[in-house]
Amino acid sequence: MSRSYLFVPGNTPSMIQNLDVFDSDAIIIDLEDSVVLNDKDAARILVSNYLQKLRPDKLEIYIRINDAESRYFLEDVTLLDKTDINGYVLPKASVEAIASLQKITNKDIIPIIESPLAVLHVEAIAKMSQIKGLLLGAEDLTKELGINRTTEGKEILYTRSKIVLACAAFGVDSIDTPYTAKDDHEGLLIDVLHAKTLGFTSKSSIHPNHIELINQAFAPSASEIFEARRIIKKAESSKKGAFSLDGKMIDLPVIERAKKVLDKAKKYNLL
Amino acid sequence: MQNSVNTSKKVIKNLDALFSLIDIHKNKNISFHHHFRNGDYVINYVLEKYIQEKVQDIHLYPSAIFPSYTSILTMLKNNQITNITTNYLNGPVADFISNNGLPGTLKMQTHGGRARAILEGHSQIDIAFIGVPYASVNGDAIGYKGNNACGSLGYIIPDSKMTKVKVLITDTLIDEKISDPEIDGSDIDYILVIDSVGNKKGIVSGTTEITSNPIGVKIASNTSKLLNELGLIKEGFSFQSGAGGVSLRVTKDIKEIMIKNNIKASFFSGGITKYHVDMLEEGLVQKLYDVQCFDLDAVHSLDRNEGHVPISASRYANPSDPSMVIKYLDIVILGATEIDKNFNVNVTTDSHGNLIGGSGGHSDTATESFVTVIVSPLVKGRIPIIKDKVTTITTLGKNIDVFVTERGIAINPIRKDLISKLSESKLTILPIEKLQEIAYNLTGIPQKTLKRDTIIGVVEDRSLEVIDYIYQK
Repeated sequence: MSRSYLFVPGNTPSMIQNLDVFDSDAIIIDLEDSVVLNDKDAARILVSNYLQKLRPDKLEIYIRINDAESRYFLEDVTLLDKTDINGYVLPKASVEAIASLQKITNKDIIPIIESPLAVLHVEAIAKMSQIKGLLLGAEDLTKELGINRTTEGKEILYTRSKIVLACAAFGVDSIDTPYTAKDDHEGLLIDVLHAKTLGFTSKSSIHPNHIELINQAFAPSASEIFEARRIIKKAESSKKGAFSLDGKMIDLPVIERAKKVLDKAKKYNLL
Repeated sequence: MQNSVNTSKKVIKNLDALFSLIDIHKNKNISFHHHFRNGDYVINYVLEKYIQEKVQDIHLYPSAIFPSYTSILTMLKNNQITNITTNYLNGPVADFISNNGLPGTLKMQTHGGRARAILEGHSQIDIAFIGVPYASVNGDAIGYKGNNACGSLGYIIPDSKMTKVKVLITDTLIDEKISDPEIDGSDIDYILVIDSVGNKKGIVSGTTEITSNPIGVKIASNTSKLLNELGLIKEGFSFQSGAGGVSLRVTKDIKEIMIKNNIKASFFSGGITKYHVDMLEEGLVQKLYDVQCFDLDAVHSLDRNEGHVPISASRYANPSDPSMVIKYLDIVILGATEIDKNFNVNVTTDSHGNLIGGSGGHSDTATESFVTVIVSPLVKGRIPIIKDKVTTITTLGKNIDVFVTERGIAINPIRKDLISKLSESKLTILPIEKLQEIAYNLTGIPQKTLKRDTIIGVVEDRSLEVIDYIYQK
């Protein structure tokens, strides 16, 4: 499970050569919206060459390919499937589009939920094979709904909740939509904490300067780690399935959650 | 105010009057300061006279040369200038010298070294032309008042003490005495009033914005974390950073650490910007020792903040000055055009041999500060910054302690104390050779194309020793 997914334009060598500098758990190299039509070939070749020669170790890398209706869809997958990527981020996702992609790759897929129909079908999408997680694309979704995006995000509350539930139900990552105000770090913090409270496992970003805050928010806090350590220690010394700690009942689900907190903390080098 | 007073015996009518008293052809070692930077009108105004009079064999001693000092280029093309001694140069004059050299020598000094050389008599200057925005009839002057205020006048104060003839040039002359003047009127021989000494908009240094570039942000973050882990951000610490975007980002990050841990600094020194002034006014630092203002906020602060103190280049960085400020520095953050595996740093030329700057206070502060940190991206414009040997040594490697990049941090092996303190650090700390290897992996190994046939200049450290040579491009 990754805390952060950073979009990086596929036609910007200065950004691509520094993918491993930004501290994002996962990178999404974009061949879709940030690459103009005339650059599609060049970007695809650049990304392919980079991945073959300089792919950083220990970094999850996904490619946002062009959508399944696009003339570039097949060319993107044909070239990049030969590289050591973790999978694809599929824009304008639908059950049918995902099925088309599944026919030409065995790699993981992260569909972007950015149409009203996709929102209605999130359960069906989340349970499809090869699905790594669902990514909310709030900008396109609100555009299709004809409503304004706000910093508070009330207009996407239902969608966010629905995605979180579907992902949790089928054991895949729920990845929140990017916060688009690049320099508004106070707004970003509110947005990230809101997403975490709703139950998202991760958040995407369009700017590297957002990553540190996202990683901190989606990692266990020092007090959560401290508490989890106490629970595990007590559980190891207790012979009962359930016991009391500071007046609170601790049973198996709480112990399992504490183990997950410590696993995450270990993964993110926080212990 | 302007032109209201001409009763002082020191006040002269114009440059012709001055040169009727002093033989222009016998006073050819002349100095200027660069506090107006690209807004300076004084240098071109004075040098036009040297051009008209076809004065030959001039030795120029400007504290720095900026692109707007076009008359210097004209004089170089006229073959009127033999030698230049300065601390920093860029723009067309730098390009010309890189390509053609000088009939004599280009001597690159440090800010502290220039002050020392003047005060100890090694630099013999005939006339100092001292542009000031605010002066009194007795010759007292300050830089932070007047229509064209430029802030501290620190770099010209040694000249105002030791030069044979000192000429104050101003556009604002007052009758009243000036309290705590930077320039002492008793040192001044002549005062010349002109329409305008400069355009204050031009004094703003080109790089006074905090970077939001992700690589710069990462370097700054690595730097502030490192300094915090070293325990250097502590009550009463002292700090200097340049006006570059990354340096200012480090200052911002350090400010956040200070607020979080309720820490107050004792002083910041060097070039001062709005961000340093904000920290003074927020009570986060007690004193700003200002040798030059990098923006107008800093200029105006000098007039209103008692804790913001203009200082001379000698007090700032002259190793012979007992009151030198930077010997108390805990941390200095500096940039680099190149660094080599021995930690020597170049900020004088680029990798193609073009003159693009100079030490300024780089070597001074690196020598004196307890910890000297170089911040830079590992690769600049497809060129790896770490060389086997730098093109030009500006600051000796023995004075550089830490090199921070976006991909890792190298500690100079001679700083065993720092290495020991960081033994448990989670920061990426690597040998400098490993960082070079990482850069080469991205760029390949650049071919060496430099010509090193003709020496055109020397780099003189603050010790007054020559530490490297500058070659014609």
